[in-house]
Amino acid sequence: MLNRFIQRFTDAIRKGASSGCVAGLVILFLILIGVPIKLQSLALFMLLFVVLVFGISLGRRLYEKGLAHLLLNSLAMGAAAAIVVFLFMSLINSWQSKGIEVKQYFDSVTTETMTVLSGVPEEELHPNPEIDPMTGDYMEGEPLRTDPMRLTFDADTGLRFKVGMASDAWLDMNMTIGGFYGFMLLLIIFGLLGTLVTWAAISFDVNRYRTQTSQYLSGNPILHWLVLLLPLILFALLWLMVGHGGSDPILNLGDGAQEIQLLTGFMLVLFGLVAMRAAHPTHWELAYPVRFGICAGAVVFLAVIGIWRILQDDRYFIAPPPTPEGSAALSVGAVVVVAAALLIQNWFALRNPERFEIQLSAVLSLGTLLLMPLYLDQYQADVMTLVGINVLLGLGLNIVVGYAGLLDLGYVAFFALGAYTYAFLGSRQFVYDNDQNPIGYKFEGNVDVVDRIMAWVLTTLIVGTIAIYFGLRYWKQRQATQAEQYIERPTLLRLPARPQANTTLLLIALAVGTSAVTAIILEVTGLYDKLFNGASPFLVGLLAGVIVSGLSGILLGIPVLRLRGDYLAIVTLGFGEIIRLMFNNLRDYTGGPQGVLQIPRPLPNDAAGPVTYLSIVYLVFMGAGLVAFLSARLKQSRTGRAWSAMNSDETIAQSMGVNLVQSKLMAFAIGAAFAGIGGVLFAARQRNIFPGDFNLEVSIEVLSLVIIGGMGSIPGVIMGAIVLIGIPEVLRELSTYRILVFGALLVTMVIIRPKGLLPAPTAQLRERARALVHGSEESQA
Amino acid sequence: MTDNIGTQQPVLQADRITKRFGGLMAVGEFDLTIMPQQIASVIGPNGAGKTTFFNCISGFYVPEEGEIWFRGHPIRGLRPDQITSLGVARTFQNIHLFAGMTVLENVMVGVHSSMMATPMAALLRLPLNHQEEEATLAKAYDLLEFIELAEHGDLLATNLPYGSQRRLEIARALASEPALLLLDEPTAGMNPQETEATMNFIRRLRDERDLTILLIEHDMSVVMGISDQVTVLDYGRKISEGTPQEVQHDPLVIEAYLGAPADELASGFHAD
Repeated sequence: MLNRFIQRFTDAIRKGASSGCVAGLVILFLILIGVPIKLQSLALFMLLFVVLVFGISLGRRLYEKGLAHLLLNSLAMGAAAAIVVFLFMSLINSWQSKGIEVKQYFDSVTTETMTVLSGVPEEELHPNPEIDPMTGDYMEGEPLRTDPMRLTFDADTGLRFKVGMASDAWLDMNMTIGGFYGFMLLLIIFGLLGTLVTWAAISFDVNRYRTQTSQYLSGNPILHWLVLLLPLILFALLWLMVGHGGSDPILNLGDGAQEIQLLTGFMLVLFGLVAMRAAHPTHWELAYPVRFGICAGAVVFLAVIGIWRILQDDRYFIAPPPTPEGSAALSVGAVVVVAAALLIQNWFALRNPERFEIQLSAVLSLGTLLLMPLYLDQYQADVMTLVGINVLLGLGLNIVVGYAGLLDLGYVAFFALGAYTYAFLGSRQFVYDNDQNPIGYKFEGNVDVVDRIMAWVLTTLIVGTIAIYFGLRYWKQRQATQAEQYIERPTLLRLPARPQANTTLLLIALAVGTSAVTAIILEVTGLYDKLFNGASPFLVGLLAGVIVSGLSGILLGIPVLRLRGDYLAIVTLGFGEIIRLMFNNLRDYTGGPQGVLQIPRPLPNDAAGPVTYLSIVYLVFMGAGLVAFLSARLKQSRTGRAWSAMNSDETIAQSMGVNLVQSKLMAFAIGAAFAGIGGVLFAARQRNIFPGDFNLEVSIEVLSLVIIGGMGSIPGVIMGAIVLIGIPEVLRELSTYRILVFGALLVTMVIIRPKGLLPAPTAQLRERARALVHGSEESQA
Repeated sequence: MTDNIGTQQPVLQADRITKRFGGLMAVGEFDLTIMPQQIASVIGPNGAGKTTFFNCISGFYVPEEGEIWFRGHPIRGLRPDQITSLGVARTFQNIHLFAGMTVLENVMVGVHSSMMATPMAALLRLPLNHQEEEATLAKAYDLLEFIELAEHGDLLATNLPYGSQRRLEIARALASEPALLLLDEPTAGMNPQETEATMNFIRRLRDERDLTILLIEHDMSVVMGISDQVTVLDYGRKISEGTPQEVQHDPLVIEAYLGAPADELASGFHAD
């Protein structure tokens, strides 16, 4: 009887208890990596926040089981979390009271940790009181040790709940509960709070809450708009935290300001993504002028803020050759152009009344995202750049791994090829003679080569376009006069069939040939030097880097076409290492382990001031944005569907008419080209590159961020890059645990959210399809 | 239909094709001719080489000898995707839908071979590419309405019930605008009602979509009920061919399915 009762009870609280254990482990982990010491005034809040989140998720999962069950489980959750933490802390406490130096085992756990978590003042916690060697008693005047395991209700030894930064907290509350029991009590209370709030929220608005699981935030209109406006709110916060015109910021954060600002920047990016996803077509019954007015107002407002910042604080981000400090006119001009483009886009898009919400959230997210770098200092901008480059790499790998399902472990090779291509073309590294006098560039002739490439590419573009245009016209005419096709095939649209492969080749050969002839003529007549002397190597480097990595993507693709899964992974792994070792060992050509130095920025050589980092940030943002945009388009196209089908089952995809060779090579080439962009930007940011920058770890990191973010999901990749690259960079002091976090996160993710943090939603095409097929009939009815 | 068979070009003509796996002859010197708008069946005991024959037609295997003609075109040695884009579509013995893609997207993959968009066109969203995307979507939706799954267009394909998955597989095959549809055991694992519905569905395919259908089937009621022509394979060789009635009474067929006829067995005993 009793036995059965116990069994029923444990069954009832199983869910709560198990999620409590996980919560406890998370809290423990935060304690171990030193959150209580390093973020003292946020520590308690952060730890309690963990239980709060678990409480909320518990509330969502168990809502239907009834309030009593829910309460029981949430109590069990809090208790389990508290017990896990308590067990660990008692261990630490007993060690400390015995005088064992805890720091040697857990290097981020000190007496301060105990103080923060138990409220007992540090001097009373002295772990190792001096002992009089003669008498064996404690020294006179040594403070006595107060046992933190004792529950007290006393203001002197109470827990202090602080929110804010170390120097001045916004909220400093003495809980007047002391000891770890107090902390445990708080854990339970917060868990309960989370559950109850969720329960209340759901019962308040249950039907809407349940309609769309992925958009559960849209149930409550206030919450919904809060989410949509979050980027703006976060931007306002950032604005308040940063000083303007040399004055102190309105919100002074003291020591930790740099990290907090950067974190706010990350949050801004993340919530921009969340906001864009939370927005969905709704008819707000606003007239067109009102809709446009609101969106246009937002654009103009953000643009004005941006221009103000640029002019007031000299935050220029474009620097044409004669202006090393950057040009105000061009920077402001760029803002105006972007704003105008947004306005025009809104002008057309807002004609559809249902798009208001989507447009507004897109404008706010995009606008604040673009303004954000203007408020960052050099270090922060540097971290942002790193995250942006990783987003670029992640998006490229996402095409290969996420879309096409080809596991590529040597992805770093394309990154390296892009970086080295730009480095070879652009490097201004000198070679010195015995007296340390520069005698010339190490990568000799590269300036000349850059000019030649630039010129040749331009001529090819012009001459090639003309040649292909006329070639195609001729081909079409001949095609029309030709008799029946080889076999009649229905195509969706009545189009002339594409030229056969050999015709295409002929046309390309024609184009290249003519442009080569033109190039030779230009060379002989000496027009080249007049036309292109002194062109910036960056654009040429970018172009060359993309082409070189894209082509090497195809080169890698050809031998591995028949390989799947593990075998593919091994071969690509080898390829990545080969490229790195090649750069490492071909000393005469690549500089070997000494790398390539003096790679120019896409700026004048004497550039200085904020423009040096702002320009790179914006370039990386542009690159990442472009790549994200292209990936999104590819995904919805014929090619994207072929990849997706191939990912799911190669054989069946082939029997549906997918050309496997073409699709695979395409995936490799496009993924590699994106990595090439990343590589060029990386080289321009670092200015010195070494083979060691391109080791296997990079491949693994990029792969992890794709997996953690969500395979095949663009917002997922961005989030993955922030979580895996950005946040560890901010919490530099905790970097010892970086690999540990990587591992733990991967394991957790694969178990809890196998599809990643922000998985790609399934395509919702039915409505559009129905409208396409039945649209006309319904409008008549 | 029967009167103009003589004048029409066959849709599929297999000419003495042979496929060996090492020493094992899976299909040997097999001939088959299918005229337009016929429903032809290939039957035979397990391991007779039916699916191997299908794989030879659809390009997954290349027969060592013989030639396959599709609408007068030799297709032996072409890749599966090339054969599909010529107008041969097939389904599989076990359901193979694209997991992770919705019902609509599954059908849209089927349209792949009749589309011409290149990645470049998709990146730039050229007007023609856009039109083609819309046409593809509309066509996929049309097909879903044909198989009565339009409601579930946005569901993940693998979440559909079994019978619907079978129909979806056929719709995906239809999306490539085939002239010849190869169905590998379309009624496997179905109850009698579902089988009946599938038979009607196959007839509808032939009548409404002018398809020629070649099917492998174990359920004799299906084979005898809808086929215009039945071919019996045993140990890779054709042992009988004709209308369902002719085949049913062929002693060789009975022997293949039931073993040696009773009188022969009896005589064998006597001889001993």
